[in-house]
Amino acid sequence: MTGSLVQNIHHYCVGLSYLCAFLLEIARLLWPARGWRIAGLGFGAAGLVAHTAYLFVQQPSPAVPHGSVLLLAWVLALFYFYGTVHHAKQAWAVFVLPVVIALVALSRVLLTAAPDHAAFNFAGWASGDRFWGAVHGVLILFASVGVSVSFLASMMYLIQARRLRRKVSPGAVIPMLNLERLETMNRHSLNWAFPMLTAGLLVGTLLIPHGPSLSDNWLSVKVLSTAGLWLVFLVLLYLRYGAHVPARRLALFSVVAFTLLLVALVAAHPFADGGAK
Amino acid sequence: MNLRAIGCNVASAAVELRERLAFNPDKMQRAFTELNTRFAAETVILDTCNRVEIYVSRQDTVAPLHIPLMAEFLAEIHGVPASEIVPHLYEHADAQAAKHLFRVASGLDSVVIGEGQIAGQVKDAYEIALKSTATGSFLNALFPSAIRVSRRVRTETGIAHGHVSVSSAAVDFVRQVFETFTDKTVLVIGAGKMGRLTLKHLAELKPAAILVTNRNPEKAADVAKECDGHVVPWQQLDDALVQADIVLSTTGAPEPIVTRHRFDNKVRRRRAGRTLVIFDIAVPRDFDPAIHDGEVSVFNVDDLAREADRCMGERNRHLPAAEAIVEAEVAKFVSDWNKRANGPVIGQLTAEVDKVRDGVVAPLLDKLNGKLTDAEKAYIEGAFRLFQNKLLHGPIAALHEASREGHSGGLREALRMLFGLKG
Repeated sequence: MTGSLVQNIHHYCVGLSYLCAFLLEIARLLWPARGWRIAGLGFGAAGLVAHTAYLFVQQPSPAVPHGSVLLLAWVLALFYFYGTVHHAKQAWAVFVLPVVIALVALSRVLLTAAPDHAAFNFAGWASGDRFWGAVHGVLILFASVGVSVSFLASMMYLIQARRLRRKVSPGAVIPMLNLERLETMNRHSLNWAFPMLTAGLLVGTLLIPHGPSLSDNWLSVKVLSTAGLWLVFLVLLYLRYGAHVPARRLALFSVVAFTLLLVALVAAHPFADGGAK
Repeated sequence: MNLRAIGCNVASAAVELRERLAFNPDKMQRAFTELNTRFAAETVILDTCNRVEIYVSRQDTVAPLHIPLMAEFLAEIHGVPASEIVPHLYEHADAQAAKHLFRVASGLDSVVIGEGQIAGQVKDAYEIALKSTATGSFLNALFPSAIRVSRRVRTETGIAHGHVSVSSAAVDFVRQVFETFTDKTVLVIGAGKMGRLTLKHLAELKPAAILVTNRNPEKAADVAKECDGHVVPWQQLDDALVQADIVLSTTGAPEPIVTRHRFDNKVRRRRAGRTLVIFDIAVPRDFDPAIHDGEVSVFNVDDLAREADRCMGERNRHLPAAEAIVEAEVAKFVSDWNKRANGPVIGQLTAEVDKVRDGVVAPLLDKLNGKLTDAEKAYIEGAFRLFQNKLLHGPIAALHEASREGHSGGLREALRMLFGLKG
């Protein structure tokens, strides 16, 4: 019975749980009371459990767009839960949950548009010709987490900087982390993501010649957007460590990087199957 | 309960009178001794810069202390004519006195609503009285309750949130920008009074270094000495601005000392995009407001005043909730105290009437011995017990009612006398 219950978990269950947690967080900010936070965390935890159960039971392949997006949403949901527990006074969920909900919705749209129920096959991926494809996928996923966290930190940074520019009273608006903390979070995320992305891209480059159509692979949206993302990262690192541009401009670049990441994830994957496709 | 809170505060008496009524340690000890020996009163004296209040509690059976008597007493202690004191004193009795203390401890009676210092002062006043053995069972229950209530009010409402002074509001802004301060440099330009107050709040953040510069090197040295800072020559102002993370400017210069052009050319480029927060609390302003952008934040005295006003407004919004907590806690304290005071009387009364009942029922049952079944004996005993309960219900209910209203002392005494109970 439990098995069939878990089998019935759907994107909607996950998304709606996160949506309830988000609305409760908004309610907490508007009418401060301890109950909102507890209820919000409860729904957030329920969403996370449902999300985990879905990934565990359905095992969507990270090589297909809807699977990779859903896996990224799961990592960000963990990030949301950790942040909400550790930064109780900050409006953490207000920024992280919309991204998580949007990714879950995007995953659903991708699955509906192009049903691909390819499941994750660990045995197949851990051995044989699919191994390097798996390494590529894992590296890109790790880089995606870094880019997503960097995006969230950047969005918060831009809002906080805007408040300061407008001299908004600190206590009159929703509580957020300070600029220094957000800038540090952004920096650490980028420092984590760049090596992952570079390594992932190198492995992917080596896999392209094994694909069915070399010219198609090199010119695919996936490859071009990932290469674009890498270039944006290169510029970001130069601006930060070479040109020392203000953190606000770096935050804007991080938002661009996240947009490119989404394009890369959503685009069809030419070598996800170890170059078999 | 026979409690009086008699005193004066910033609203009822001018500072000239309050300072004449202030208690030094010797006068305080003398007051404790005199109030105890003359009036058999438990006493706590709350003496702060905004108020002088004496909390006295006596046995329920004696007359309470009142303003004329206390004015005479204060006149004797401080050498101030009683006629000068009386018009400025206020008096709160019993439950109202407890409420007054709870409000005072919670910062609801303070000039700056919700200020936290008063809770510590109430605690200190109580501890001094306790060490001097000036308190008894009543004040030993009342003052710890007041301290607990003040904590509850602060944690359960927003009455103590934010900074409500212009000088401390700077801290709220700077916390929006920086996470840690132990690696930050504060630059102080000038030596105005407001600047020194603000610097005091910023120094509490424990920055790595405080640099002080002034056209007058002696004044700079004075400020540096106060805050354990380093003097920077006025000619090196631009270098100091490059080094600083937080700037506090408070000169008396008639024109801006740092223009946009000067800042952009001599400072901004050398800062490598680092964030800078400037508190320009000088009037006229020291920094060109055009310097303010996403990278450099310039807050002037109006910005800080606006933040302080907002915090005060926010605190006022929480007043009803805070007052409700105080009301509930006063009712609870009065009820608990009266239960504690009534308990022995009710116990003695019941035991006494039990004794009388047994004295009547036992001989009766002996007389009827052999004529009654066990069930009939039990019925008679039950009937007498019921009669006793009905008889005592009235006095006990009246005692509880009087307790709720806060004046059960007289009734307790009447019951003792009527039923011949031991005091």
